[in-house]
Order: sequence, then structure tokens, then C-alpha cells
Amino acid sequence: MKRQRDKEETSSDEIISDNIDVDTEDISDEDNEGTISSAMSDCETFDQKEAQVQYEIGANGYPRQIWPEIDPIYESDTSTEDPVNTVGNIPMEWYDDYPHIGYDINGKKIMKPATSDELDKFLNNMEDPDSWLSVKDVLSQQNVKLSDEELEIIRRIQMGAFPDPNYDPYEPTIEWFTSKPEVMPLNATPEPKRRFVPSKWEAKRIMKIVRAIRQGRIVLGKTQTPKPRYYSLWTDNDKPREEHIMQIPAPKIKLPEHDESYNPPAEYLPTDKEKEEWEKMDPDDREKNYLPQKYPCLRAVPAYGRFIQDRFNRCLDLYLAPRMRRNKLNIDPESLLPKLPNPKDLQPFPTSITLSYDAHKGRVREFSIDPSGIWLLSGSDDKTIRMWEITTGRCVKTWDMDEIVHSVAWCPNKDICAFAVAISNKVIIISPPAVCDDETTNLTAQYVVSGFNTEKNEKQMKLVEWIKPSTEQGDGFLVIVQHAHNKVIKQITWHRKGDYFATVAPDAGSQGILIHQLSRHQTQQPFRRTKGMVQRVMFHPIKPLFFVATQTFVRIYNLVKQELVKTLQSGVKWISSLDIHSMGDNIIIGSYDKRLCWFDLDLSSRPYKALRFHSKAIRSVAFHKRLPLFASCSDDGTIQIFHGMVYNDLLQNPLIVPVKILKAGHEVVNNLGVLHCEFHPTQPWIISSGADHSLKLWT
Amino acid sequence: MDTVQEEENQIQVRFVTQQKEFAVTDSAILVPTKLRRYGLSEIINHLLGFERPVPFDFMIDNQFLRTSLEEYLQTKELSTENILIIEYVESMLPPTSLSTFQHDDWISAVKGYNKSLFLTGSYDNHVRIFNTSGECLQTLLGHIAPIKSVEWVSVTDEHAICLSASQDRSIRAWQVSLTDGQYTPLYDCKGHKESVECISVNSSCTEFVSVSLDSSILLWTTTQPETSEEIEKKSKRRKLNKDILIKAPIATMRGHIGPISSVMFDKNDSNKMYSGGWDHSIRVWDVETRTNIDTKICDKTVLGIACSDNLIASGHSDKLVRIWDPRAEDTAMVKLTLSSHKNWVSCVSWSPKSQFMLASGSYDGTVKIWDIRSRTPLYTIQNSNSQEKNSLVKKLFCIDWDLDMILSGGEDNQLHLYGTKTLDIQS
Repeated sequence: MKRQRDKEETSSDEIISDNIDVDTEDISDEDNEGTISSAMSDCETFDQKEAQVQYEIGANGYPRQIWPEIDPIYESDTSTEDPVNTVGNIPMEWYDDYPHIGYDINGKKIMKPATSDELDKFLNNMEDPDSWLSVKDVLSQQNVKLSDEELEIIRRIQMGAFPDPNYDPYEPTIEWFTSKPEVMPLNATPEPKRRFVPSKWEAKRIMKIVRAIRQGRIVLGKTQTPKPRYYSLWTDNDKPREEHIMQIPAPKIKLPEHDESYNPPAEYLPTDKEKEEWEKMDPDDREKNYLPQKYPCLRAVPAYGRFIQDRFNRCLDLYLAPRMRRNKLNIDPESLLPKLPNPKDLQPFPTSITLSYDAHKGRVREFSIDPSGIWLLSGSDDKTIRMWEITTGRCVKTWDMDEIVHSVAWCPNKDICAFAVAISNKVIIISPPAVCDDETTNLTAQYVVSGFNTEKNEKQMKLVEWIKPSTEQGDGFLVIVQHAHNKVIKQITWHRKGDYFATVAPDAGSQGILIHQLSRHQTQQPFRRTKGMVQRVMFHPIKPLFFVATQTFVRIYNLVKQELVKTLQSGVKWISSLDIHSMGDNIIIGSYDKRLCWFDLDLSSRPYKALRFHSKAIRSVAFHKRLPLFASCSDDGTIQIFHGMVYNDLLQNPLIVPVKILKAGHEVVNNLGVLHCEFHPTQPWIISSGADHSLKLWT
Repeated sequence: MDTVQEEENQIQVRFVTQQKEFAVTDSAILVPTKLRRYGLSEIINHLLGFERPVPFDFMIDNQFLRTSLEEYLQTKELSTENILIIEYVESMLPPTSLSTFQHDDWISAVKGYNKSLFLTGSYDNHVRIFNTSGECLQTLLGHIAPIKSVEWVSVTDEHAICLSASQDRSIRAWQVSLTDGQYTPLYDCKGHKESVECISVNSSCTEFVSVSLDSSILLWTTTQPETSEEIEKKSKRRKLNKDILIKAPIATMRGHIGPISSVMFDKNDSNKMYSGGWDHSIRVWDVETRTNIDTKICDKTVLGIACSDNLIASGHSDKLVRIWDPRAEDTAMVKLTLSSHKNWVSCVSWSPKSQFMLASGSYDGTVKIWDIRSRTPLYTIQNSNSQEKNSLVKKLFCIDWDLDMILSGGEDNQLHLYGTKTLDIQS
């Protein structure tokens, strides 16, 4: 480029020098008009080369002198030339209907040059051999003859070559930036450390991907479901996008009603009574905050008194109106509850009261059902023990005792027919006469009495004394076990085989728990000292385990190894009762602080479930021996029956479903309700005893 | 006529009856559909033209009409265009209390004989025989525990032989002279280990069966043994002390689990016997082969059963009376359940004259008379005592339908006699 410019400069210099020459000629000559032609003729003569003034035949048919091109340098004066085009590059057909094109600086119309008609054009074309070289300049509306240079340019463009013949597209490259590596560095700074340590940002980006893989947002080796290559562009399946989904329009003002008119129809006007009522009402309770009023004319309507208040309320409405829709979690609250079976599907369980055993004159503290399920034995505060026929409610036999009967318990051995009674510090073994056949009665007597022959050691003599009762003492009395301590025995519980039984006297300290063997009249003191006040004890139904419930703990001892196996932490304040499931792996306890706790011994030493459904202290809890039922009775006078299914599968937790509340049986007397409950051994019946001196059978 | 039809719908009915003395015209009659039993009864009485109106009950498809005809048609979705065939029977009159015989203790068992002699067993260990005038002809002493069941074996003009079962595990046969006030215990049946709950004599009076709480069913003959039959060696010593003959069972049938509450021989077939127990089953036994040929299971304890010619009724601890068809093969299919009692149904008894009627006694102190063609009881007899004291309901333990008399006894120490005018439908 530069070089080309240089060339141009040199060429223009030549021209300028020529012109100067010409100008000097012009200056020397006075007459401008005449001198040009003369100068030309002078030039002709002066310079052979330049003197050849070129003429050509103009468009009008006359020869026309062709002036050399004027180089528009500073000195060149174009102001003398006529303004050729003042309208700019606009479609010239706009001026087709006018004789002029644009205006000159003085506001005069610049007239179009005369145009030749078609015939002249044709004649021109025919006559002038160079007419094909002329082109109409649209801006000046004149024919211009193309010069040789211009023709050359056109020819080169048609050839596809560069218009400028001097342009060389294949110049040799100049290597401004060398490709050859330098042997010596350009600067002496050492390589920075970051060139050698792993990139922190790369590590961050990689960790981001790793985290996404770990969280599963990126699944490796996942074959991407290919998107359809073609899809219907004009399908109707697309839903139109809603505009401004979250936008909620502001609440609208309620439109006035008929009764808000200044002149409402008569039926809208309130009567005096209605007015009075409206005024008495609390403003918040009013259905409408105005009273319809009638005015004779619009002019008589006073200013609206509640205007400020209404505006304020409206502002409040706008301010408090919801601005966006919140997506509520659409969860059915029922679905969050555990899926429990319908109690109707868990039949059978006791549902209604059937019989009442009324004869006692005091609280019935405890009772016991014989293993066959025919007889019921109840001990009461009226110092009697009564035996009942369960299905008829007949009191078969009554024993009068000296003291309050605290506990009665049938011997679970079906071969003998006897029961144990706890009275103050005595335990009496009684065989009820005329209940079982003679053979069994004899067997029972032999079994119980045979122990008198065994020798007793001194240690045992300190604890208890096995006394043979006289016949006057009571009907069917076999043995009296007189305890050395003078404390009241509160509970008797039998081992499942009916030979051993344990007695509990909570106040007797270390002698509180004693285990007696009926056949050999032996007594053991299993614990040197007891931790806490013993509430209940029980034998495990299968294993040689012994459960001791103190006020807050249940301790399980192995009787064979003589060691503590487990301590159950009940979390209640005062345990009242205890029962063990017939499979032996689950126990329930009732407490005076209204709680019933279910322990799964395989699971933990804390309650598997704690049920708090009673409104007062729980007095007794009981499992059914065969059916998946358990019950609790309370001082609020109700008995609650639960379905408690224990699965053989160790993985499945017990299923506990409350099925029935037995109400309206026992009356609450002196804040004491139902004192004891026990299930029938074979049938889905439950028997309860209460402070209202009665026992009830529920079936 | 058109105006009448607009007012009320009418239907053509044809009245049929099996009681010939009450037969009316065979042609169809147009009656309004709003009529109930009383209206239909009035129509029949009008047609018959008797001086004293006779109440009738109406049956459609062997079911008593207890609603209006219109409601019946709606529930059955029947058209009023067709002719409806209505069978009618003479209504059973409300039972009347005839008399009450006072006892010293709870009555646990009762059996009547031809409306002339009534045998009762009581919790005071005594068996008593009453005549219709309320005189206690005999008090049979000998049991040492409450009586649980009594049965007649044979009655002649002079003598009567009866059986009593007791909680003292024995059954005793008695010969009672009806003329001179003498009685002799014939023999003692020993074999049960628990209280004997129920006994039943077969139709030919040659054998009887007893059930006990020890889950055994023992079969005995009614013939008097010549010497004491020894059951086991151990009981020898005690037998010597008594001057009464001991009888041993001829067969023991086991099958029930747990106590058995009730047993009854089939009325027609002496070889068949039904028993019901606490194991929720009713078992059918073949007496000759001593096998349990069929077992019907329900889900509640059976307290009392009774069999008619072809059906078994059982009282249950879920306050229901269930009617079973012993010929049905399905073991759990109950033909009908009758519910109205408010407590355990302790005893049931079929009417000896009608195959559709039975009486049931319950611990709620009521006797209910049922017709199995109707789901609701025909009559409920409430003891006057229990009506006075609502708090103490006197339980009923036994019931017996003797010809047209219903006997019931229970906790109120009274034997109640109710007269029923029976229906004479022998279909």
C-alpha cells in the first residue's frame, strides 16, 4: 500500500509541475478565455508530447477538448465549477417530472441539461463510433465518456483481477515475529511456582464433578436416552405458556349495593328494631358496617363519615393481600398415621359386660382363675375368699379369714387342685372341697402334706415356719406358711409347674422376696438384700428366669446361674403391675403414673412402646395366655383391651393395636376403680375386680 | 274406580292357608298395598265372617310379612301387576303367665312331661317334681352339689323314672312313686371328672348321654345294673360305704377341646347326637360307632343346643341364637342368626308342635319366642321381677317347651309356666 501511495505521489508531482508550468503561462496572459486555447496551441508547439491536445467528438457532435485530469490538491480550485449535484444520492426519478434537479447555493433551481430525444440518441450512436464508451452519470444527468484507465479497470474487474494493475497480492512475507527459538531468554525472571503446582481451580472443578457423581447427579456409564432427531414443529401438544403465573391481581373493591343508595327502595330501609339490634351488635359481628338511609335528595347527603376508616381498611386489604401463590404440600394427614388394622378384624376380644359377681362386702383386691377356666377365686377386704362358677356367677364356696386377703393364686399344676392365699404374713394352701373329684383331692393332699416329713435346716427355720393347720381353722386348709417377718405379704406368684411359688412383702426388707417349694416345704431367700422396694415378681413362663419389679426398674435374674441377666429401665415413676407374654420375650408393666410400657426383651432394655391412655393410675395389666390380647385396668374405672401380636419372626416388631375400652362396669369408689384384671385362660373373656365390691365378666 | 286407583296403589293377592277351617276363596282379590298385617287380617276375618275375629299372620315366600305390602314390594322389587300369593296362619296369641313355683335356690334345669309333671333341678342340690297345681310331689335328696341337668326316662301312672346330673360329677337315676310319695335312687353314674353339664335320653329311652366340663361325652344305658360296676380300683373303698349301685359308662367319646356345655339326641334318629362346647363347635356324633361325623364351627362359645326334626338351634355367648342345618356340608355355614337378646343365650328349646318355632332363654332374664320365618322375635317374655328392679337382672338358666307350655327357670328361684296357643301347621 505504502509503496503504491509513493508511486501516486511521484506521478502527481509530475502533474503538478506540469500545471505550474501551465499556470505560469496563465498568469502571464491577461485574457483568460482566449489564452487557454492559445496556451494550448503554445503547449502544442512547446512540448511535443504534451502539446498534442486531444479532441474528441462530443455528444453534441462537436469536437471536444479533453483536459487532463485535475488532481484535487489543495491548490486546485473547484469552486469555479458549476455545482453539478446538490440533491445527493437520491433516486433521480423523483425529479423526472421537474425541469430542474435541486437548488444552487443561491436558491436558484439548477436546471437539468437538455436531453436529446430518442432519435438524436440513435443518430449519435450511429455516427459516433465512441458512443458505446459513454455512460450516463445519474447524478449529473450527463453522458460521460469513459477513459482508457476506467475501461482498463472495468476490464480487470470483469476478468476477476484486481482493479489496480500495480497491486501485487503475492508480496514476499516479512517475518516480524520470528519462528526461530531464541537460544537465550529475552528476560531473566525465574519460572513462577504456579507452573509447577497443580491448579487449584482445576481441582475445584474436578471436585465439583466428583461430588455430583457421588450424589448421583451424574451417573457414569449412563446411556443417554437419545432425543428425537426430528420433531413436529407445529404440533398442538405444546401447552401455551401461561403469562405471569405467580401474579395475583389485587382484590377488587366490592361494588355498592342497592341499599347503599342515598334513596334506597323502602324494603331496604331497616325498621327501628333492626336498627336497635344493629347498634347493639359488636362492630366486628355486624354483617354490614352501615345502615341504609334515605335522603330526600342527593344534595342532602352529608359527607361520608367513615371515609378515612374505609380507606384505611382498603389499604390494609391491599397490604395484606397475598402476593404470590404458595404451593401447599398436598399430603393426606391420614396417610401419615401408621397403618393399623381395623379392630373389627382383630376379633375376638371382650366387648361388653356379661356377668357380675356380687357378694363381697369390701374391695376385691385380687382374684385368680383356675387353669381349666371354670372356677374363679376372689379375695376381698371383707376378710373372705369366695369361689365362683364363672359362667353362671354362682358363689360356690366362701372362706372366712382373720385378715384382709391380699392375694390369691391358683396352682397352675392341673394334676392337683389347690390355691394359695396371702393373709398378713401367712400363706395358706387350700384345696377346695367338692370341686374336683376325690382322686385329685387325695392326690393334692398327699402332694402338699408330704413335705412335712422333709428335714429343715436352721437357716430356713429363721425365715418361715410350715404349720399343719387344724381342721377347725378352715375347710380344706392344707398348709400354713408362717413368715418370720411381720410384714404384709402383698403377692403370691406360682412357677408354671406349680411346685414353687414366690411371695412378696414389700416392707420386709431383705426377706421381702421368698421362694417356697410346696412339695418339700423348703424356703429360699434368693436375694441377700433388695435394691429398692419390690412391687411385683414373676417367674418366666419357659426359662429359669425370675423377674423382679421395683419402683422404676425390672430386673431379670437367672435362677440357675444365680446372676443378674438384665435390667429394664421403665422410665416410669412407680410400677404397679407386671405381666409376661406366654412366649416369654415380651413383658408389659403398668404404673401408677398412668403409663403402660411394653418391653421387647430382644430389642432393648427400654420400652418398645409406652401407652398412656388411662386418665388415672394403672392398677393391673394382663396378657392373654393364648390369644394375642392384653389389657390394663385403672383407677378411672375402665379396662382397656389391646391387640398385642407377637411374631415368631425376630425381625418383625410386635403389633400393638388398641381395640376396646370397657367402660361403665365398675364404679369409682374413693378414687379407686378397677383393681385387678385377668383374662380367661381359654376364652376371649376378661374378668375384673373393683373397689365397688364386685367382679365383672366381660365377653 | 279410577279415582280410587289414583289415591292408592292396589295389588291382586290370592290368600292360601293350610288350616282348612280358615280357608277362604281361591280367587284373587284386589287389596290396597298400604295394608299391613292387621289390615290383611281384617280382610280375612271379613271373608270368614266369624263372630270373634281371629288374628292371622301372613307369609310371602315363607317369610313373615312385617312391613306393609308396599314396602315389601319395594324391597323385593316386585311389580304390582302380578298376583301375589299370601299364605296366612293363625297368629300365635301372646303367651300368658300361668303360674310360678317357688324354689329355695336358683333353678338350673327343668323338664316337663305332658304338661302334668315338671321336673326341676336346683342349686340347693335337690331335684323336685311338681304337678300342675304347684304341689311339690317329691324332693329328691342325694346329690352333694348343685344339679345341672334333669331328664325324664319313663313315666307311667304310678312310677316315674328320671335322671339328674350334678356338679358332684355324678348322674343319678331315681324311681319315684307318683302315688305314695316314695322314691328310691336307682343307680349312680360315675365316670366324669368334672361337673356334668347336660344329659339327654334317646327317643327309645334305652340310652342316655352326658357331657361334662372335662371335655368328655359318656354314653350310658338306662337299664339298672345288678351289681356295682367298678370303674377303677381306687374308687372301691368309697363304694363300699354307699348302699347305692354304681354304673359305669358304656362308651366315652372325645373330640371337644375344653368344656362341653350341651348335648342332645336327635329326635328321630337314635343313632345321632349333637353336642356343643366352649371350643365354639357343634359336633354331630354317630352313637353306634362313637365317632364324630361332622363338626360345625362358629366363633363364639356354645352354651345350649336344641334340635328339632331337621334343624339345630344353639345359644351363644355373643347374644345370638344360631340355626344350623345338620345336613349342610359347609362346616361354618349358619342357616340363620337370630339377634335380639341382650346377654348370653343360655338355653334354647324348639316347639314340639311347630317346626318353625323355638324359645330361647337368656342371661338378660327374658324368654323370646321366635318363628324362624321372621327375623324378629314374636314375643318377649320379661319376668315381672326383673322389670321392677332394673339393676339386678335375673339370669335364666333353663327353658323347656312342653306341648303348649313354656317352662323357664333361673336365678329368681321361680319356675315360670307360660301358656302358648300353638299354631297348627303341620307341613
